[in-house]
Amino acid sequence: MKVEAQEPVVEFHDLTVSYHKKPVLWNIDMTLPKGALIGIIGPNGAGKSTLIKSAMGLLPLASGYVRIFDEALDDVRHRVSYVPQRESVDWDFPTSVLDVVLMGRYAKLGLLTRPRKADKEMALNCLRKVGMEAYVDRQISQLSGGQQQRVFLARALAQEADLYFMDEPFAGVDAATEAAILSIMQEMTAQGKTVIVVHHDLQSAAEFFDWIVLLNMRLVASGPIDKVFTNEMLQETYGGKLTVLAEVGELVRKRQIPSREKY
Amino acid sequence: MDAFYIILTATLFAISCGLLGCFLILRKMAMVGDAISHAVLPGIVIAFLLTGTRDSFEMILGAALIGIFSTFLIEFFHHKARLQTDAAIGVTFTWLFALGVILISVFAGQVDLDQECVLYGEIAYVPIDLWIGDNGTIFGPRALYVAAMTLIVNVAFIRIGFKQLHLTTFDPAFAATIGVSVSLWNYLLMGAVSMTTVAAFDSVGAILVVALLVGPAAIAYLLTDRFQTMMIITVFVAIVSSALGYYLAVWVDGSIAGAIVTIIGILFGITFLFSPGHGVLMKKRLQRKEAQRLKTEAPLS
Repeated sequence: MKVEAQEPVVEFHDLTVSYHKKPVLWNIDMTLPKGALIGIIGPNGAGKSTLIKSAMGLLPLASGYVRIFDEALDDVRHRVSYVPQRESVDWDFPTSVLDVVLMGRYAKLGLLTRPRKADKEMALNCLRKVGMEAYVDRQISQLSGGQQQRVFLARALAQEADLYFMDEPFAGVDAATEAAILSIMQEMTAQGKTVIVVHHDLQSAAEFFDWIVLLNMRLVASGPIDKVFTNEMLQETYGGKLTVLAEVGELVRKRQIPSREKY
Repeated sequence: MDAFYIILTATLFAISCGLLGCFLILRKMAMVGDAISHAVLPGIVIAFLLTGTRDSFEMILGAALIGIFSTFLIEFFHHKARLQTDAAIGVTFTWLFALGVILISVFAGQVDLDQECVLYGEIAYVPIDLWIGDNGTIFGPRALYVAAMTLIVNVAFIRIGFKQLHLTTFDPAFAATIGVSVSLWNYLLMGAVSMTTVAAFDSVGAILVVALLVGPAAIAYLLTDRFQTMMIITVFVAIVSSALGYYLAVWVDGSIAGAIVTIIGILFGITFLFSPGHGVLMKKRLQRKEAQRLKTEAPLS
């Protein structure tokens, strides 16, 4: 099940990625549309993070290529932003919230230029958007998980990109942060920016995204949510692991498909 | 005047090492600094055999290259052979150091280096080894100039590359996505560490230079939550421990470098216990206060 995007911003062409010679993504071939809030969904170890890391050039590709805005990544880097998983950095690092957000401006600064007043204003603005203006000078180790995620989002906003890749931005955040992040993402897509999110919670996925990519080492489906987010597709993505998701189990029960265990 | 020269030389080296150490410990690479300080030994011996002097520019450059090479070897063993980082470090630097030791013993007659000097250094000779110009003018101790040049190069490097070094230290994946080469800055930093280690070699030796790399930065880390402040505190610790170390050495009539590192160790111990944010005793006190507060407030709720 694959729907090609009308106005593609990202194109994966026959992408295969390996870790230590063992392929973790096979022949991913799809296009993703402009201005959409896109969820990449799949079980643990499906290669969701690997997919966006390879799109950002962080991993060597075994074969295939990724084109962004119909160009190579290096030519459009300044238009693309990447938000790593929160756990990927050391939050005991001696630095302040403002300093982290200012890193989002580094790409726009030369080698020798220091962040100027305008950059600081911009960073403050981004912090205001994520509701963290009261924490500007706070040391980052004093933040909660949700606040850390907001700071990462503010840094991404400070990049003023057109395309955002976010790795599990909703993982381990409180309900207020989840709502805040979602509304910012919706605002971004309303402005024609594209937001691609790695996500693992099926329940909320149905509410959050316009476009869904179902992944389990290979591409199971990619398309508008109403076409792709179906019982059949989810079954295919999550395989026989019925215990993994209550929701899938529920759907199965409702339609009275005999479960494999009983068989 | 001799005391002043010695303290000044030690301070300049300690500041260079400390500033680089700030980045090393936050990158969790303090032991790579250790590895490099040992691994440069064969470079020093070879350069010495070729040029015949101990603090020539070629020598520092040659050793810096070996330092970068050892960094490369460590990364290579870690990524390609999938060996743990600490194992890769252990294999690489002991091997290169052993090579250096063999070179010294084989060419013992020609090389004005012995194992003791290599390991411990001797900063007390600084005032004797003077830089004398062609027309006989005495410019002062040679090591002092080397130390000053090393510091200037390091400060310039950190000032120019601060954004990149800071960013690649905190969040390398993000740095890579905005087009900052993580490995380039890693090698540049390791090049600076190698150069500094070699320059400081005569004075403090291969073992104690590690203390200068790690000690002041570790103390500063415990005292502040700001990177810039951490670097300032590091400089301060470097100055204080060099001066106090010198007088301790005079007092006990022992090794100056050893005394400096002893002072760093004592300062670290004091910081570890009393630092306002991270200190063990302060944390205990805060916990007691908190328990007290909960006790008194409990009846109200």
